[in-house]
Formats: sequence, structure tokens, C-alpha cells
Amino acid sequence: MNARAVAAWSGACIFIALFTTNPAYRALVLAAAFTTLAASVGLARMRRMLVGAALIATVDVLLNFVSAHLGRTVLFALPDAVPALGGPYTLEALAFGVSNALTIAAAIFAAASFSLLLESHDVMDALPNVLSRTGTAIAASLNLVPSIVASFAEVSEAQRFRGWRPRGPRSWAEVIVPVVLTSAESSIQLAESMEARGFASAPRTSYERPRLDRSGWLVVAMSGLAVAGFVAAHAAGWAADWDAYPSLVAPRVDLPAAASCLLLFAPVVVWRRRV
Amino acid sequence: MATARLTHLTYWYPGAALPALHDVSLAIGEGVTLVAGPSGGGKSTLLRVLNGLVPHFHGGRIAGSAEVAGLNIIATPTRLLARSVGFVFQDPELQGVYDTVKREVAFGLENTGVRSGGMHALVDEALVESGAEHLANRRLRTLSGGERQRVALASVLAMHPRLVVLDEPTSQLDPEGASLVLSVVSRLAARGRAVVISEHRLERLRTLADSLIVVDGGSVASHEAAAWRQPQIDAPPPRLAPPGPEAWSLTNVSAGFAGRAVVDRVDVAGRRGEVVAFSGPNGGGKTTLLRTIAGTLAPLAGKVERRPGRIAYLPQNPTALLHRPTVRSEVELTLGRSGGAENPEKILAALGLLAVAARYPRDLSTGERQRAALAAVLPGHPDLVLLDEPTRGMDPAARTALIKLVADLRDAGCAVVLATHDSHLRNALADRVATVEGGKVTELHTVRA
Repeated sequence: MNARAVAAWSGACIFIALFTTNPAYRALVLAAAFTTLAASVGLARMRRMLVGAALIATVDVLLNFVSAHLGRTVLFALPDAVPALGGPYTLEALAFGVSNALTIAAAIFAAASFSLLLESHDVMDALPNVLSRTGTAIAASLNLVPSIVASFAEVSEAQRFRGWRPRGPRSWAEVIVPVVLTSAESSIQLAESMEARGFASAPRTSYERPRLDRSGWLVVAMSGLAVAGFVAAHAAGWAADWDAYPSLVAPRVDLPAAASCLLLFAPVVVWRRRV
Repeated sequence: MATARLTHLTYWYPGAALPALHDVSLAIGEGVTLVAGPSGGGKSTLLRVLNGLVPHFHGGRIAGSAEVAGLNIIATPTRLLARSVGFVFQDPELQGVYDTVKREVAFGLENTGVRSGGMHALVDEALVESGAEHLANRRLRTLSGGERQRVALASVLAMHPRLVVLDEPTSQLDPEGASLVLSVVSRLAARGRAVVISEHRLERLRTLADSLIVVDGGSVASHEAAAWRQPQIDAPPPRLAPPGPEAWSLTNVSAGFAGRAVVDRVDVAGRRGEVVAFSGPNGGGKTTLLRTIAGTLAPLAGKVERRPGRIAYLPQNPTALLHRPTVRSEVELTLGRSGGAENPEKILAALGLLAVAARYPRDLSTGERQRAALAAVLPGHPDLVLLDEPTRGMDPAARTALIKLVADLRDAGCAVVLATHDSHLRNALADRVATVEGGKVTELHTVRA
């Protein structure tokens, strides 16, 4: 799969989700992002991300519901005397939170396409030459993350056997310090290894120069059309924005804007079962 | 003609009063040059001079001259020397940049600007030369340690270096993995490459070596490879008392992670005053068994029993434990926590660490760090001792010291469990050996009753 095509599609999804305030279009983008990933990698590989996205979205909805005491449709109220929580709880605040959660979830799924659909070398290969060394260094560092996570479990276990017990924040130094030191040493070792293999000795070349094939071009074109179409529709008044306040109304759906969002489903067909 | 030549070379690490290498003069030609010597003697430093990591990466002061493949090492950055010197490090886990084998092998070629058209042939050729062609389409994370070291070797061979340097490449590998790597070394030497290899376990390597260098206290001496005799590991002290009652047992135990069993339906037990050794290939389940006995990993099925008492546990990566300012304070921390009244000097002396007791543990060599970690976990009269690859990176003297220390613990009634590839350690200490392979105990035999 071509990283530039993924970047174009992901960028288009995020742009539209952030550009509009209309939850109907946000939901369409979310559906496109979710369906594309599900069709490409399957739900099993998305499980952790789904849990994470659901958690973040729920927190966002609750935060807005609890903190924004605006809107006319009051569901219930807590006494004003209750610090931070007191005041009316409204349907509008809930709807506004849900609309924002749709944007967050759409952005998470679209951005996750980089890790789920691509290998780190796909991303590095797609970077322009000027960013190539930085990209390689970052990708190499990210390869250390699993060993750092494993090191945390190993160190805390080993320190328990030496009599360590978690008693307040300061006690964690006996685990955190060795983990940080080990991570730093691992990074230094990796840097040594990269230096010893000539990293930054000459302009880099690539084992496989990524080329956009027909399907890649199709995704790039559809993503570009989606963005251009949506912006044009918005300018022409065919992609109405939405606001939950002061009283809740259903979001208006215009065909040109909805059609632009539907173009983001193109990868569902093109990338199906390719990962 | 020599591929590499050092002349009166002296090197000090940053801030060090004494040199790590002192007035070293040597020439390295084609074939295998073996580098031997005690832990902390300067082997790794010498090897790092050959590709310029010392002094360019590590800093410090250097005097004398050094050249490799006609290049002045002191004046040429490591990244440029990389075209002439390939370097394979100890830990296969920490060398990988890419996530697939072919891309990993191509990394050096990409760095040196080789055009993609010619790169494919060089990668394929290096994979064949290192005996890793069957791994070409695998992901790095799915490879065993031995396979990863072969890929690391292919990564440097792809660049067609004049000199290949390997720093204890088999220290973390099981016997099969080590054989894989050593067979490649043998093949390289047969094809006329210059190979420098540092190792502690020299039995098999001596037959391959054309020359041998011993590095001790920063000084270097050349020896005839065939005539040189490695310091021997002393015979273990005789057992003072027979084993006592059962101290721990696993009954029909399955254990693993995220519901997936790494070991399956294992039955094994150990007694007080007895040493049980787990042997077998990397990834077979030895560490999982140790952690299950220790109680840090709950079994998925079956029953784990242990007599109450203090457990001393040396993890697979023991240096991760070390965080105190000195080796002595690491020992004092454990003693303070366990309520032990021992003098810390006793265990420091037993493991040959008195000379480095006041040093920061992470500044020590790999073998010395291993001993420091042992010194940090073993004091305080433990009832159960669990050691995961305790002799990693250790020289013969340190292995002798460890054997004596474990024998003393055993004689004091402590139950000991070792997970080790080290046949010397097993032969010296184990009362029973359990072979752990594919998550099963495939063999359990008594060495001494």
C-alpha cells in the first residue's frame, strides 16, 4: 500500500471532520474511516484502537455534558452549591459532546491508518529526502517502545523481589529510574548500531522507491475531490454548519456535501483485503 | 598485508584517570582473529576502535595511531568507516532499525547511497552469505536470537566490508543459535575475509582462529591460537548435605500471557538444598517457568506451591535492576530490605567485585554488570533462588565464583532454579536438569542423586 495515498486519504478525512461542525457529515467521515480500516485489516486488529477511541469519545461527551450548562432542554439539575458539577444538565450539551466525539473518533481512525495499513519503512520511503534521516531516526526509536514496555514489567517485578513496595509517588523512583536508564542505554546502543552502518554518511537512497499505482492514484484523486467538493459546497451554502445551542435542531444534510463525504469510502473497495 | 593496524594506541574514556587501552600495537590480517580476556579487560573497547566508535561516538582522549583498510581511524568518522568495517553487537534485539529482514539488510546500503537497482542483488547475496536467505521475507520480531544475529551479520556483509567485527555475538544465544552464527564466521574466513570476534566461550572458536589476542587490563598480547589455553573453570565444591524436603512444585501447570499458554501442563518440583536447571532453546518457556515458580505470573491452569520465605530473582536482563550510585550501595539496599546482617564486602569479594565496588554499576562491562546484579539479588539469606541466564557475558573466573556462591547457598538449604544455556554451569551445579522446549518439559533427568 502506498504511504502517499494513505496520507492523502487520511488527511482528507481529518480535514473534513475538523472543517465542518455538522454531525451528519462528521458521522459520514467516521463511517468511511471505520469501514476502510475494518475492510482492510479486520476488526480483530482494530480492537485496542476501538476501545481507546470509545473511551476518549465517552470522556469527551461526559466532560461536555457535565461542564457546559447551556441549552434550553434541561434533563435534570444539580444544586448550584455543588462545586464544579452544580447547574442544569441539558440535551443540547449532550448533543454537542456527541458531535465533538464523532470528530475525535473520525480523526483517530483516519490517523490510525498509518500504523494499521503501513509498515514503518513505507512511511520512511514516502518522506521527502530532506526529512528522510529524521524519519528513519524516529522510526528506529519507535521500534524500541515494545522493549521499554517489557522493561517496565521486568524491573518492577525484580525490584519487588528486592523488597520494594509501591508506597507513594517517591517510591516509584526505584522502578522508573532503572527503566529510564535502560531505555536511554537501548537508544544509545541503537544509535551506535545505526552509526556503525553508515547512517548519515551520504544522501540516502531507498531499497524500494514507492510508486503510486492506479489504485493509489484513484484514492488520491477521490480524496482530493472530497476535500475540494466539500469546501466548494460549503462556500455555496450546500454544507450547512450546525450548532446545538440554544435549542437542539436536527442537522441539515445537503446532497453535494454528503456526496463529497461518500468519496472517502473509495478505499473500502480499493484497499479491501490488501493488508 | 594487514587489514587493520594499531600502533602504540592508548585510549581514555571521558573523565577516566586510567586508560581503557594502553600502548596497544597489533596487526589484523585475513582469517579469524579471536579476542579473549577477562570481563572489563578492554575487549569491547578494542573492537570499537576498529570501526571508530571509539573515539568518535564515545568521546574521550586517544593517542597513537590506528588505521583500517588504509583509512586513518582517528581522523575518519565512524559512518564513513562503515563502508570498510562491519560491526555486529552483542544484543540482537537492539540492532534492528527496520521491521522486515530485507529492509534491515538494505539499511546500510541505503545510508551509503547505493542505487536501488544494484541494492537488491547485494541484499540477496548477503543473505545467502550469512545463511539467512530463507528468512528474507520474515519480520524481524518473529525471528529467534540466532536468526536475528544472522540477519545482523547479513546487514554488515551487504556493505562488503574488508573487516567484520563481532562483539560477543553468541553470548545471548542458545547452542543452536550460536552454532548458526559460528558456521557463518567459519564460511567468511574460508572466503578470505578478515573477521575479528570477541567471545568468552572459546572452545569451538579456537579451531577456527588464525590468531588470538588476549586483552587484559587494557594491554594486548598476541598468542598462537592453537597453543593458547583458556583459564579453566574450577571444579565445584562437593555437596555438604543431601537435599531436604520439597521447596516448590508445579503440578500440571500451564502458564503464559494474554490467555495464550507458553508452557503447557508441566510437572516439576525442587527441594531445599537442591539445584534444578532448565535448559533448552531460546523461546522454549524457561523464563515463563521461572516467573511462574516465583509467583509473578499466575498459572492459566494447574497448581503452584512454594514454601514461604524470601525469593532472590535474577531476571534475564539483570542490568535493568541497577540504579544506585555504586555497586556496594546496590548490595546494601537488598541487605537493608531483607534485614540481613551480612557484611556487603563478603558477597562483593565472592563475586570479585571489590575493585569496582565504588563504581557506578552501569559504567561496568557486560560481565561485571552481570556480577553486580547477582550481588544485588543474592544476599540476605534467600530461601529460593531463581537465576535466569546468570553467566551471560561472564569470563571463566566469574563463572567459577558464581558456581561457588550458588553451591554455598545450596548447602545452606536454599532451593535453586537455573535457566541456562551454559553446559558448564549445569554440569557443575545441577542435581536435576529439565529440558524445556516448545512449552513442554521434554526431558527431566537426575545428574546427581
